[in-house]
Amino acid sequence: MQPRNWASRSPSFVAIQNSSRWRAAAQTIRYGPGISQLVEAKRHKNKHYLISDTIVLDQERCVVCWRCIRYLEEWEDKPQLGLFERGGATIIDIQPGQPVNAKTSGNIIDICPVGALTNRVARFSFRPWEIERTPSICTQCSIGCNTRLDTRTHTLRRVVGRENMQVNDQWICDKGRFANGWVNDEKRLTTPLVRKDGTLQPVSWPEALTLVAEKLQAIKSSAGADAIGGIGSAKLANESNYLLQRFMRQLIGTNNIDHRDGADIAALPSGLPALADLMKPQYGPDPKYDVIMLFGVDPSEELPILDLHLKRAVRRGKAQLIIAHPRRIELTRYNGPFMQYMPGGEVALLNGLLHLAAKAKEDKNSDAVKLVAKVTEKQLREVAGVEVDAAKRAVELLANAKNALIIYGPMPARGANGVQVRQALQNLANYTGHGERLAYVGLDANSQGCRDMGVLPNALPGHVGLEDELGRPHLEQLWGVTLPVTPGKSYSQLLDSAGDSIKALYIMGADPASERPNWAANLDKLDFLVVQEIFLTETAQMADVVLPAVSWAEGNGTFTNLERRVQRAAKALGNPQTKAAPDWMILDHLAGQFDANWAHDSAQSVTAEISHAVPLYAGMTWNAIGDQGRQWDAFGLRTSDDYAAAEQPVLTAEAGELRLMDGTVLYDGGTLFGLTRQLSNVAFGLHVAVNPADAARLGLEDGTAVKVRNRYGILTLSLKLDATVKAGVAWIPASLAGAPVGALLNGGLEVVSIEKTDN
Amino acid sequence: MKPEEVVEQVKASGIRGRGGAGFPTGQKWSFLAPAMPRYLVVNADESEPGTFKDRIIMEYDPHQLIEGIVMSCFAIKAERAFIYIRGEYYFGYTRLVEAIKEAKAKGFLGKGIFGTEMNLEIVVHRGAGAYECGEETAQLSSLEGYRGHPRMKPPFPAVEGLYSKPTIVNNVESIANVTQVMRHGVQWYRGFGTEKSPGMRIFCLSGNVKYPGLYELPHATPLREILFTYGGGPVNDEAPFKAVVPGGLSMKMLSADQLDTPMDYEAVAAAGSSLGSAGVIAIDAAQSMVTIARRTLGFYREESCGKCTPCREGTGWLEKILIRIEEGDGREQDVDLLNHITKFIAGKSFCPFGEAAVWGLQSNLAKFRPEFITFIEETNPDQRIPALPIRPIYRPDTGEPSSLTVSAIELVGESPLNRDTLVEIAHLIDIVPDPGNA
Repeated sequence: MQPRNWASRSPSFVAIQNSSRWRAAAQTIRYGPGISQLVEAKRHKNKHYLISDTIVLDQERCVVCWRCIRYLEEWEDKPQLGLFERGGATIIDIQPGQPVNAKTSGNIIDICPVGALTNRVARFSFRPWEIERTPSICTQCSIGCNTRLDTRTHTLRRVVGRENMQVNDQWICDKGRFANGWVNDEKRLTTPLVRKDGTLQPVSWPEALTLVAEKLQAIKSSAGADAIGGIGSAKLANESNYLLQRFMRQLIGTNNIDHRDGADIAALPSGLPALADLMKPQYGPDPKYDVIMLFGVDPSEELPILDLHLKRAVRRGKAQLIIAHPRRIELTRYNGPFMQYMPGGEVALLNGLLHLAAKAKEDKNSDAVKLVAKVTEKQLREVAGVEVDAAKRAVELLANAKNALIIYGPMPARGANGVQVRQALQNLANYTGHGERLAYVGLDANSQGCRDMGVLPNALPGHVGLEDELGRPHLEQLWGVTLPVTPGKSYSQLLDSAGDSIKALYIMGADPASERPNWAANLDKLDFLVVQEIFLTETAQMADVVLPAVSWAEGNGTFTNLERRVQRAAKALGNPQTKAAPDWMILDHLAGQFDANWAHDSAQSVTAEISHAVPLYAGMTWNAIGDQGRQWDAFGLRTSDDYAAAEQPVLTAEAGELRLMDGTVLYDGGTLFGLTRQLSNVAFGLHVAVNPADAARLGLEDGTAVKVRNRYGILTLSLKLDATVKAGVAWIPASLAGAPVGALLNGGLEVVSIEKTDN
Repeated sequence: MKPEEVVEQVKASGIRGRGGAGFPTGQKWSFLAPAMPRYLVVNADESEPGTFKDRIIMEYDPHQLIEGIVMSCFAIKAERAFIYIRGEYYFGYTRLVEAIKEAKAKGFLGKGIFGTEMNLEIVVHRGAGAYECGEETAQLSSLEGYRGHPRMKPPFPAVEGLYSKPTIVNNVESIANVTQVMRHGVQWYRGFGTEKSPGMRIFCLSGNVKYPGLYELPHATPLREILFTYGGGPVNDEAPFKAVVPGGLSMKMLSADQLDTPMDYEAVAAAGSSLGSAGVIAIDAAQSMVTIARRTLGFYREESCGKCTPCREGTGWLEKILIRIEEGDGREQDVDLLNHITKFIAGKSFCPFGEAAVWGLQSNLAKFRPEFITFIEETNPDQRIPALPIRPIYRPDTGEPSSLTVSAIELVGESPLNRDTLVEIAHLIDIVPDPGNA
């Protein structure tokens, strides 16, 4: 028998006392384990076996409450778990050989009341009372799901959902939950590196920063400020991006500042009106929108929680979905009008829809109709490749909708055609009366915030024009300089002219070298390349100076999600052995080298500065944003109601050629994703997906190694037959590890030919 | 006649539901929510051990049932009726299907019955062998194609039933009684039985009697008369009756001194049991009450649907204890333990199955406790319990890639960052026309 006060002396008991579970634990320590009246042999069921790559089920812990079954049925609409047997033998299990693969399946772990379902990545790596819990947000996509980061001994142990009824209800997707092995990966950069004798060698911070300042100043004085460019990242916080563009504009004196999917995309500044208007909470009101049109965006792969909200809006709120996408995306199963357009036929489709809308109204004289006077149904069928019946149904829904929301993503809005697509969308939205609810959604965590912060070559922070009479003096006064007025180069322009008119680049959190091989070659030709990164990426390997930064979990920062909600991601952990520093601190010290005293003492003080510099963010200090975030008002930024003609050159494909299409998949096997070992099986793989009909025509079989070729290069991939891809189209998702589809697309629309490899 | 008048007549007749609960049929009909469409579901999932009355009605007088369905549907304004028939009743099923065909041919079913505006289709659905699907809400779940689990009440089926529409669920015999009430009138019907339990009743006599079978007798016929006059007394004259289950296996037992109880709802309730489905099971002195308890619980363990914990776990536990007692490893304290467990099932489960599962055992233990104790003392004088098997060993997760999905990517080296070897790029900037396309 232990002495009575043994428990209170035990060090672990002190920890237990501080946790919510201490009562049960203390009872056991004091009185011993409970005594069961059951003297019969216990039933044995399957212990801890995998029901998916990431979820472990222990049937002996299960109390058959079937919350997991109900989650998958009622939210995901994917009944992948079921009850088997009867009575006392009842078990919960997967269908034989069919693992749970819903994109948000990890939520069943959170709602399991007994720990029968456990997170394979995190299970038993901590005691619940030993971890620190930090409210944060997820940075895997632009929804900005609220999460909680559980840490212990400077390690991220687990990510779980946190309730925010305005954003994610209480759910998060599997990528956000499981794919975080990179945070504690040993390959993280821990010290500044400088290229000496051809190799990157560790140096001290002062040495690295002095070198950066000297080199940049030298290039500025020899080749001019516009020979230097800066690249921000929509994966990083507002603070980082704000300071980078301030650095480029104030201290370098150039507008050469952009980010991936920045000025190359024809975006709209206002984002979604509000996520809460789209979702139908458990006991809440019906969604505000009765019709939702998705144009070139696939929420199931790109924004899984939006997918969850849409499913609920359709199934519970009776909303109608209109989908236009070159792939038969998962949400098409809800039977809304589906227009599978041919890449390159975007404008033809939208003009065709406008034409049909006018025809239905018997309108022949308005301005809008004159723009599409020459459009025929034949064009709709042949150029866009869309069935006229589906288009008519879509137009009818849009015309009769009270509140229709039209969402488009970056895929159709890229390059020169993107501007035309945006104009055509605006024409259609305005004509059907939904102009103010046309929304562009970026896909990266801070796509919206990066634009708001002015990480664009043609806009200052707050979507202020470069020569704006009010905004510009406001910033000049705040920063104490005269700002440059010539528009800078966009992301692709910067990289295309790197080594030519651009002599030096400061890249923060971007990896353009892996996107296109010709960019990698250009980066090699630069006089000076600085990369601020957390890993030694392909771009960082080419750099002259590599500055180690910290991730979202290791520093404070604010992110703006796709509905303009500014949310906090607080510091959850820190590695005491690393020299890596937060972005704001690096840029502050660099500014010091340029004799500027920015005098920020924390990320929060940068947040405060943003609230002064960007009128849209007025009042959004760290404390004011709070745990649930704050949305800024986009009243003045809504779409104009002008009509203008939209045209797009026809993309012709020779016989044997396919139109190339990219897009995003959730499990892309990218740099960060690949570092979570347990997820290696679910990654998309190096495939080019084509329609079975095309494969048969080209004489190719599933799994054949093929060369995908056009004038920009060749990719060697394996062929995947996929009936969801439109005939005549080849689909290679973007950011697959080792398949830079951007190389073949070259920023626009291209055709490719596919042939077997020789060996 | 108007539909409302039919409801009134059935109400006045005082027909009580014959499925087990004895709820007045006419009263049930009057609870219907006003929404349309409405459905009638005839509960022919007769799975109660010792009950076989519906089977005979469906096999040998199906038209009485169909006539009753037509009139009931007229009364409740339903245009579709379902007969949920127990899967094992295949002969009854074929008979019903044939009878429905005949009725349709005569114009008694289908569109515009007898030249009126009434339409009616009858769907016969065979159950898949679950006792639980005799519970009305579980039956509706099963009929909709879901697992046969009971639903929360309220809303009652009369408000939100099949496919969330107002639904009446009635037993076969109740519906067959509607036929009689409508044909002969309330006065005639009330001529049988008592004030509160009017009409005739089909008693299903089984167990240790000489002449088991179905006996249609008025309510309030004394139990002794059923057992001796019609059943011919105990099958073995040397073994007198020890106990009688009056209303199907779920109901509490009556002991030998209660044989004079009149078989109507009130009198049986006063005797501490319930008339239930009128399945009278006679048990004679040659039977072991331990075996009866074990077999009863075996049935309920097998049939528990698994929705709620008390019943799912409790019935299995009870059966295990009873098996142990029967195998000669019982302890005296097990009798109290059994009693204790039954208290956590009855009244604490989601549907009436929980009560049904333990009432028999509760009455058995109350009335025949000495027999249990004697049995335990004789078979296990040392009060020893068997050794328990050792738990399986914990097998830790090795963290290897699962075999559930096949890896689509081949990781090169340790990190996917070293991936440029996978890419082959030709002609980066200079455009060289491909000879194949030229």
